Amino acid sequence: MPLLNPSLRRLLAWAAVLPALMPATVAADPARLDFNRDVRPILAEHCLNCHGLDDRTRKGGLRLDRAEDALKGGKSGHPAIVPGKTAESELVKRLRTTDPDDRMPPEEKGVPLTDAQRATLERWVAEGGEYRPHWAFIKPEPQPVPAVKKEGWARSPLDSFVLARMEREGLEPRPEAARPTLIRRLSLDLTGLPPRPEEIDAFVADPAPNAYEQLVDRLLASARYGERMAVDWLDAARYADTHGYHIDSARDMTAWRDGVIRAFNDNQRYDQFTVDQIAGDLVPGATEAQKVASGFNRNHMINYEGGAIPEEYHTAYIVDRINTTSTVWLGLTVACAQCHDHKYDPITTRDYYGMYAIFNGVPENGLDGRNGNAVPVVRLPKAEQAAETERLAAILRTAEARLANPQPEVREAQREWERSLAKAGAAWNIARLAKAESSAGARIEEQKDGSWFVPLPAAPREDYVLTLAPIDAPVTGVRIEALPDDRLPSKGPGRFDNGNIVLGEVVATSGGRSLAWKSASASHSQDGYPVAKAIDGDLATGWAILPRAGKASSAVFALSEPVTAGAAPLVVTLRFSPAFDRHSLGRFRVSVTSDSNPQDAADVPEAIRAIARVEPSARTAEQEKEIARHYHEQVSPWMRRLREEVASAKKARDDHDRAIPTSMVMAEMTKPRDTFVLVRGQYDKKGEKVGRTLLSALPGLPGGGEADRLALARWLVSPEQPLTARVTVNRFWQMLFGNGLVKTAENFGTQGDLPSHPELLDWLALELVRTGWDVKGFLKMVVTSATYRQDSRAPRTLYERDPENRLLARGPRVRLQAEFLRDLALSASGLLDDRIGGAPVFPYQPAGLWEELMSREDNDAFTAQKYVPSKGRDLYRRTMYTFIKRTSPHPSLSNFDAPDRQVCSVRRPRTNTPLQALALMNDPTYVEAARHLASRMVEAAKSDEERVASGFRRVVGRTPTKREIEVLLRLHREQVAVFRQDVTAARRLLSVGDSAPTSGDAAEMAAWAVVAGAILNLDEAVTKG
Amino acid sequence: MEHWMQERARLLTRRHFFGRMSAGIGTAALASVMNPGLLSGAGAGSQAGAVHGALPTLHFAPKAKRVIWLFMSGGPSHIDLFDYKPGLRQHHGEELPASIRMGQRLTGMTSGQSKFPCVAPMFEWRQHGKSGLWMSELLPQMGRVADRWCVVKSMWTEAINHDPAVTFIQTGHQQAGRPALGSWLSYGIGSENQQLPGFVVMISQGSGNKTDQPLSTRYWGSGFLPGQHQGVRFRSQGDPVLYLSNPPGLDDPARRRMLDATGALNALAAESFGDPEIDARIAQYEMAYRMQASVPELTDLKGESAATLEAYGVRPDAKDGGFARNCLLARRMVERGVRFVQLFHRGWDQHGDLPRQIRGQCSDVDRPTAALVEDLAQRGLLEDTLVVWGGEFGRTVYSQGSLTKDNHGRDHHGRCYTILMAGAGVRAGLTYGATDDYCYNIVENPVHVHDLNATLLHLLGVDHTRLTFRFQGRNFRLTDVHGELVKGLLA
Repeated sequence: MPLLNPSLRRLLAWAAVLPALMPATVAADPARLDFNRDVRPILAEHCLNCHGLDDRTRKGGLRLDRAEDALKGGKSGHPAIVPGKTAESELVKRLRTTDPDDRMPPEEKGVPLTDAQRATLERWVAEGGEYRPHWAFIKPEPQPVPAVKKEGWARSPLDSFVLARMEREGLEPRPEAARPTLIRRLSLDLTGLPPRPEEIDAFVADPAPNAYEQLVDRLLASARYGERMAVDWLDAARYADTHGYHIDSARDMTAWRDGVIRAFNDNQRYDQFTVDQIAGDLVPGATEAQKVASGFNRNHMINYEGGAIPEEYHTAYIVDRINTTSTVWLGLTVACAQCHDHKYDPITTRDYYGMYAIFNGVPENGLDGRNGNAVPVVRLPKAEQAAETERLAAILRTAEARLANPQPEVREAQREWERSLAKAGAAWNIARLAKAESSAGARIEEQKDGSWFVPLPAAPREDYVLTLAPIDAPVTGVRIEALPDDRLPSKGPGRFDNGNIVLGEVVATSGGRSLAWKSASASHSQDGYPVAKAIDGDLATGWAILPRAGKASSAVFALSEPVTAGAAPLVVTLRFSPAFDRHSLGRFRVSVTSDSNPQDAADVPEAIRAIARVEPSARTAEQEKEIARHYHEQVSPWMRRLREEVASAKKARDDHDRAIPTSMVMAEMTKPRDTFVLVRGQYDKKGEKVGRTLLSALPGLPGGGEADRLALARWLVSPEQPLTARVTVNRFWQMLFGNGLVKTAENFGTQGDLPSHPELLDWLALELVRTGWDVKGFLKMVVTSATYRQDSRAPRTLYERDPENRLLARGPRVRLQAEFLRDLALSASGLLDDRIGGAPVFPYQPAGLWEELMSREDNDAFTAQKYVPSKGRDLYRRTMYTFIKRTSPHPSLSNFDAPDRQVCSVRRPRTNTPLQALALMNDPTYVEAARHLASRMVEAAKSDEERVASGFRRVVGRTPTKREIEVLLRLHREQVAVFRQDVTAARRLLSVGDSAPTSGDAAEMAAWAVVAGAILNLDEAVTKG
Repeated sequence: MEHWMQERARLLTRRHFFGRMSAGIGTAALASVMNPGLLSGAGAGSQAGAVHGALPTLHFAPKAKRVIWLFMSGGPSHIDLFDYKPGLRQHHGEELPASIRMGQRLTGMTSGQSKFPCVAPMFEWRQHGKSGLWMSELLPQMGRVADRWCVVKSMWTEAINHDPAVTFIQTGHQQAGRPALGSWLSYGIGSENQQLPGFVVMISQGSGNKTDQPLSTRYWGSGFLPGQHQGVRFRSQGDPVLYLSNPPGLDDPARRRMLDATGALNALAAESFGDPEIDARIAQYEMAYRMQASVPELTDLKGESAATLEAYGVRPDAKDGGFARNCLLARRMVERGVRFVQLFHRGWDQHGDLPRQIRGQCSDVDRPTAALVEDLAQRGLLEDTLVVWGGEFGRTVYSQGSLTKDNHGRDHHGRCYTILMAGAGVRAGLTYGATDDYCYNIVENPVHVHDLNATLLHLLGVDHTRLTFRFQGRNFRLTDVHGELVKGLLA
């Protein structure tokens, strides 16, 4: 029996090589501890929670994050650290003591220190207890290129940094990879697509000494490059096609997304790109493209859940902007400072809310997005839409002109009406109400003039149920007067801001029996809201009165049959349309009449009738205008038709307007909102008022004082600021090598990982700035390096020693990210549609995935609730154009570690799961791709060997070995035999997907489709090697 | 530094393990494929408290090995179903006293109301079991198993709208981005089953309310944890697990032949490249192949007796939206070692028309819930399986909209509500916590969402303060910086 079980033994063996793998900031004297590498992590993990920057949680008045405080000590008065003297240092005493009251860290708090950690702290004090600032907060300094032993390998300083580290570790670089491997690696890295066989052949045969560089240039110039670069940026920007909360309906930020693709393709300098993304709208003379680009910080989730509190969500949006911006550019997690001073990094709550103030000036709503994009937006009409806008405006102008200048016949008809009006007039009696009830529980109070008042606050939706006191005479009609009142907003008669009402439906019953209306007329109706809509049986339409806010309007409703409301009282229900919530009536009066013709004159306000009684020649111009207006608006059928023409022209214009694409953008209010520190980060607990400021602990502040968004953007890319360039080159490095030099690409703070090659990181950062933030140039420099060109084939011992390739002693080898996996299958099979940008698409998705999560009966009221697969070419667009619904991301994305875009993400995990295997084998996308690839293979050559080789090369790049070909040919032979027995099965397989079934000998082709499927499922197929 | 070393050691060990595998892949290897942390603790597997996740060992002896959470999405009314207050009848129709409401925030749906009339439940109450537990007449079957329930009447949450409230109870945070409880468990202690995911989600539509609150995959998302820890949706439509079936025309032997070919080529590649990840890929494909058999076996109810189907109420004509079937599947899953099964039953959002809607919702869930508890008990599974029944918040004692003789609604209420638990580690027959006469405020033993999650983790053998994941420089945990174990609930 062995002394140790095998796995434990293995573990110990690895433990022995671990120190060699530790990422190291190069200590000047390796015999001494390095504060940042060795000591700070222990302090941060075990001490700073109670002895850090945050003074509210600080214990014993002691700070251990700064030398001056540690030397001074806390309340006890004993210095925590006496340099070089462990016995006198309170810190060491507290580590050593066995007294549980004094021992640190206290048992009930956090994780105890290991003996090794305790020894490290003691040794650090013994060596002088020196503090050093966190490396990432110090500006990168020019680095001398290290000397290396191996000659002729390094192609650039980059390689020398990498090689020097390898040599320290006793490692040798791998030789350059073969050309087919290199072109596949480069194509996938720079365009996200595999090379075509003819491209591979051309590169392999290219005798030019700079063939590789030419290839790089060609790929960087490809339009596919911008798409590839955009994919990672969309993760960072949490780009999606829906709003993300609750109902999760659609938004349209495609203009922003396409702008990002264009910016990368045009090689816009990264510093200018940054300014546009953060504050393009504020750049003097901002172009449309710059305004659209500023939408970067509108990509966050937006809510309109009924009943949610606007301020709560407005706060969430700003918090998201701060977190995203600081993660993407600064590589810092500032979120902690929302509630308290950061425990580990020098970021105070004041700093946080200073930044909050910068993002708090957007003229936006806390709840928005119900109908697509949320304000503020820019309108982006297409050329033909602009022409249509003109055409519709002309139609409207014509209609309005006709309405403004009525024909003489109208005037004659008006005179006749005036004469009848002077005589007529039904008698109206104010109705007493036995009961007046609101469905929302509001009190309805009687007023001295027989009218009724409904006090505030008002529920958004309610109905009034009015029971009339018994009436002896038969009732032929009901009049509702909507009256102004000083207690109401805009003086009423409505109970909400604009004073308008929308009376959706007026319902009369008597003794439980519904009464039918004959007609309705009104003293005034708003355009598009005629009073007839209040009795049309459709609650979603109604009578409205604008612009007569603060004024009286009345409506008369004539019953089909007179009703005697004695024993069975008449009940009139005023129903306010839920389609227009917040439009209930605040003051009203109900009258009834027994007149046989209640609609004729009674709906004419007394003022108008008075004018009618005056001879036309004796009227003032004002009176003449007033009565003509009333006649035109309320009575004349001719004028009604003209009005309807105007209304329909307006509707056509508005419908067209709504179809014009928009993009959400940043903008500034003329008078920005006040910003307050939010106590413990809670939106409803306001503390002191703060101004707009940048992070105080970082250098590069332009003169202090107030900073707007533009100043923030410029500061992010100012040469003095130590983080942005490092964070940016690190992300590019991660894209190419699988891991960043700082593995925690999202966190360069004290809690993040240390860089594996600190000097290289600084050198790269300075190069990026020196070359004017030229992204294509930077990528070219990296991919032409000897480091990048290494073969990824390596002895297993190297993979085991350095599984993540942090030492860069071999070429990168990682699984493709979700988008490029599917793109590879589409491209290799010839299905890929190469149009760039535009509306998102809906590739195959298992039925019901969305629908079972969505609301049911009312989901037609919202967009993006039902998944309708695209047709034709749209099924084969690049995966980055797949519609991203945040609450139910497409499985081809979420299965393969694509983030759900709810929050910013700058580093994807790379998992390897059986669900991925199932998808690659059985998702119709891949099955369809396999049968198309099969057709290509068969067309490519006559011999089966060559057919296998051509399919293999399309997917894997290199030419397969004899042995590999034999394995696949055997699969083919076996499957042909099986399909010959069952041709129906073969045909079914050859019909998967929307494209036309594969033609040719069914058994033969189906067997090739199985072979093609096997190739698409190879590890080498899904891996960039 | 220590953290960094741990991570490295884990990674190396895993890589090495796969590196030694050849074509024949053992069960242990497959288990670790589903749960990459399997080998994290040296010598794990045979020791007590050993786990297949990131935790080297459990912190306590676990009372529960598995959890079935019957999540009632929308917010069931505690007032009408569980929180029996006979005195409420006297206040029916009366304005809710300001001394009770205490000016706390209301949703935008009722903040405009000028009247807040109290509503007593419009259904009768029944008393059940030795504990004398009161439940609505709408839940006779759940009442029948009264003595198995541990009833918490003092749950509370900070959120008052669905999206943040469900996100909160599921992930410990109201805003998106954090892992769900099931994901934490998958990450921390892994699955007991080698061929099924450790965190399964099933959805059913309630019959009472057809304008359900929408659900989001983030409710079972893995947040910043690696994607394999996200809840796997088992669906009743199409493949139970996405892309489980071979495409039309490709049968199982053909799939096997294809896998043999790719496996052979991948093995050659592993030799040529030296990358142990290729061995892991081979194992994943084999695992997928096994799932193609094990999942249909799991979801096939043919082996269940007629009596069992009847007890759960699994019938083709059932109007429960699939809840009964999901309950039975949940039992079959925990039998097979799935760690965390969560059912989402929709439609509990009774803003209006409460009496009619809640009757429908109750008839959906009453029988299957009781049957599940009894079935688990009969099979001896209830001893180490915990069943939880509840939603994201409760409802207001006052009426939303008009209160008529036989109709009313209730708005969201987070200040108190009721959940039920049964089984492993909780005290059967216990009623914990109490609310005031209006079911409005907690007067005894409040249990916050974080406290509940801390307690659930405890029952599973995990100290909620010690199951952490470092992200953006911070050690995150399910309970954020809060949460207290509710000792009073423990058996």
